[in-house]
Amino acid sequence: MSAEFSMTVNGRTVTVDVAADETLLHVLRDELLLTGAKEGCDEGECGACTVLVDGKPVDSCIYPAPAAAGRTVSTIEGLVGSDGSLTPIQRAFVDGFAVQCGFCTPGFVMTLTALIEENSKPTERDIREALSGNLCRCTGYSTIIDAVLTATEERS
Amino acid sequence: MSGSVGKSVPRLDAEPKVRGEAVYGVDFELTGTLYAALVLSPVPSGRIIGIDTSAAAAQAGVRAVVTAEDAPDLRSGLALDDEPLFASDTVHYEGEPIAAVVADSLKAARRAVSDVIVNIEESPPVASLEAALTEGAPLVHENWETFAPVPGLPEWPRQGNVVGEMTADPGGVDEAFAGADHIVEDVFVADRQYQAYLEPKSATAIYEEDRYTIHVSHQYPWNVRSRTARALGVNPSRIRVIGHHMGGGFGARLDVGLEPYAALLARLVRAPVKLVFDRSEDLLTCNSRENAIIRIRSGVMNDGRIVAREFLCDMDCGAYATDTVFLISIPIFLAGSVYEVPSTRVVARAVYTNTTPTGAFRGVSGTYLNFALERHTDNLANTIAMDRREFRIRNLMDDGHRMLNGQILTDAGIMRTAFAEVEAVAPWADMGKGPNRGVGMAATLWLTNPAPGQVTLKLDVDGTLGVITGASEIGTGAVAMGVRQIAADELGIDPRDVIVTMPDTDVQGHDGGAQGSRTTHIVGRAVREAGTGLREQVVRAGARLLGELPDDVEIGDGHVSVKGEWNRRVTLAEVATQALYDVGPLVASGSYATPTPKYDPDTAVGLLFPTFPTPTYHVHIAEVEVDPDTGLVTVLRYVVVQEVGKAITPEGVIGQIQGGVAQGIGYALYEGLQIGEDGRYRQRTLEAYRVPIALDVPRVEAVLLEHPDEEGPHGAKGAAEPPIVPVAAAIGNAIADATGGAINRIPITPEDVLDALAENRED
Ligand code: FES
Ligand code: FES
Repeated sequence: MSAEFSMTVNGRTVTVDVAADETLLHVLRDELLLTGAKEGCDEGECGACTVLVDGKPVDSCIYPAPAAAGRTVSTIEGLVGSDGSLTPIQRAFVDGFAVQCGFCTPGFVMTLTALIEENSKPTERDIREALSGNLCRCTGYSTIIDAVLTATEERS
Repeated sequence: MSGSVGKSVPRLDAEPKVRGEAVYGVDFELTGTLYAALVLSPVPSGRIIGIDTSAAAAQAGVRAVVTAEDAPDLRSGLALDDEPLFASDTVHYEGEPIAAVVADSLKAARRAVSDVIVNIEESPPVASLEAALTEGAPLVHENWETFAPVPGLPEWPRQGNVVGEMTADPGGVDEAFAGADHIVEDVFVADRQYQAYLEPKSATAIYEEDRYTIHVSHQYPWNVRSRTARALGVNPSRIRVIGHHMGGGFGARLDVGLEPYAALLARLVRAPVKLVFDRSEDLLTCNSRENAIIRIRSGVMNDGRIVAREFLCDMDCGAYATDTVFLISIPIFLAGSVYEVPSTRVVARAVYTNTTPTGAFRGVSGTYLNFALERHTDNLANTIAMDRREFRIRNLMDDGHRMLNGQILTDAGIMRTAFAEVEAVAPWADMGKGPNRGVGMAATLWLTNPAPGQVTLKLDVDGTLGVITGASEIGTGAVAMGVRQIAADELGIDPRDVIVTMPDTDVQGHDGGAQGSRTTHIVGRAVREAGTGLREQVVRAGARLLGELPDDVEIGDGHVSVKGEWNRRVTLAEVATQALYDVGPLVASGSYATPTPKYDPDTAVGLLFPTFPTPTYHVHIAEVEVDPDTGLVTVLRYVVVQEVGKAITPEGVIGQIQGGVAQGIGYALYEGLQIGEDGRYRQRTLEAYRVPIALDVPRVEAVLLEHPDEEGPHGAKGAAEPPIVPVAAAIGNAIADATGGAINRIPITPEDVLDALAENRED
């Protein structure tokens, strides 16, 4: 069984024809060659595959691709400005040593982008709770949390 | 630029990583790639009666189904040649590769895997250390005597399921025990720990012109080269390994994984082949940190002196020897160090079981060895009713400390400074106060891995500096920050003007891999060696351009200038451009390997890893609160004082401390990878195997103790590996303090905490 549908990915309308049980992550990575979202577990545990669907973070590895029909999907590749500039969160990650191996980074950036859309002044506790679905094995999280605090301080 | 060493300069690879542009091993694709999947043994032990590949081979899209019959009939290993590529007669662990399927798509390959019919006559597995060591236990390998050490390694004591035994007995230990006021004996048990790097293992290989090229994200491409060569029975030069960005490793990417399979398959199907593990395959087959049992007994005097010790440790290497026969050397460095113990006997064994082979994980064996030693240290102090910190200081080693291998630590007295620094930040008397709270301390020394490295520096015509090195960036920043900053300072340029290559074994000299914190120390030193040669050339070429003698010019701020006349100067770009047609490109190389420290080979038998080079010194303190109803533990405060030689990038070192402590907290409290009586892992997914999340980890406080090393670049020693080592011990001691009961297992579960509380109430 295959499914043909359209969705908006990083501002562009795309039409894909994939197996009906295909996940959004595989469509993004294998069909649209957007490999910024990573596959860390394929079981909804690590958050490395996080993308935004209609602005909400989802684990794209367990999100059925056809469920994105007609929706707006944002991936890490779509965050940078047209001039290539980084978002405040991305900039704070770079400047604040919040990236080590970086495999978790796109997922963290997407989750946090959604968080500060909803809550422009998150507390440390808010950040830690928002990140409960994102694993980072390298950093111990402190630099990531500080990066968000820096980015939101500078924004306001 | 007045030098970037010692400054926290943001790493250049962070930008492509936050943009999602960085290509990791698992993202890498070659045109025309076929995909493969492995058929893994569903049982831990048994005889293979037959393998029927016909149904799988008939599936749409399947190109080949490969078994041991198609592979070279060879066994190989890191220390002992005991492991075949595919099991043929017997299977020795659940997850052992039996066959491989190559297909047009990963989906097709994975689907066809379930169509390979493997008929196995199961036998009861040797599922635990205890079972393997029981008199008359079944042998995991009946043919163990036919296995030979890898070429160049001498034989060592091994017998049946005991694949390695290291014994250090200086004599007189029993007499020393006889004179002790008290004898304290403890037994500690540690479960396995899975590295749980975020990028699952993968490999992509292509066979062309009678050579294999393998694309990896790997900590040690040169080991992939030599191990793949031996697995396939070809010369190492027939293998080329190219590194890509790596999503963590923590030791699990030091030995080969999927690479020899990908190489073999690529030759058999004459097309590029990509092999990718899904997470459950990755967890099942990963060379996790070994489980272990430690028995420790010490004699102590009423005045606080430790006078005698016996330290026995059994490590589970799983079904193949891997690196565990090296790890059994580590107890000799820790059992009699940090605290003086004049008379110590150590016996450590590596033991075969029918379980997944274990292997390197950051802080190899040190995590549980330190847990045992430091939990025991608390028990010794409590036995003679001495304050636990005072007891430690009373027994602390000093400059000139002799380790049990006879190696002398000339600077061990720095440990006293480290204890004093901890006291300044987290006064012992103020920590762990209040109901259900406790404080714990742990100290250790750790090594910097001595494996060699090489660097070539080239000054480009636009003034940028190329660093050609086989060093791998595992994520720590050792290459992205450390090596780059050290290189920049050789010419006084901005680190952004330094370009560092990715590893490629055809291009660079040998590199000993991203292991044991060696990269900044060893590769950084090789940069300095190369820098000396390059600066000489730059000075000569610059002097010629300026019409001066080489002695009268100097390099700085991206220029060569006349000494004392800073405005008479030429840029490095001008120097390199002019030199190109005068003397040829400006290129210089440097190599470095740590000299082997002096030691006494007669101190031990079976000591395959005989010294502890370039040691660093560490003290950790933890404050916890336990919930008396649920047994849950909160780490309230965690402070690390770490001796680092010299911090090339302080924020980078602090990041390693924070990350290492987080992994240590996981190890201490959540992460047990347990083996059931059936020989199978109980935790099989990332849901069941619990890695710490942001809510579990406190803000770790770090104090860097600088104490430059003569050999290291700018004095730097290793920094990234050791912060994990004392964590379970510090937390274990804090929980024992909070509960008043025994804490003798890793991980320390809520049930253990409740038991400890109950035990205290009974007393
Ligand atoms: S890959 Fe989707 S949550 Fe891990
Ligand atoms: S930076 Fe490596 S997993 Fe987060």
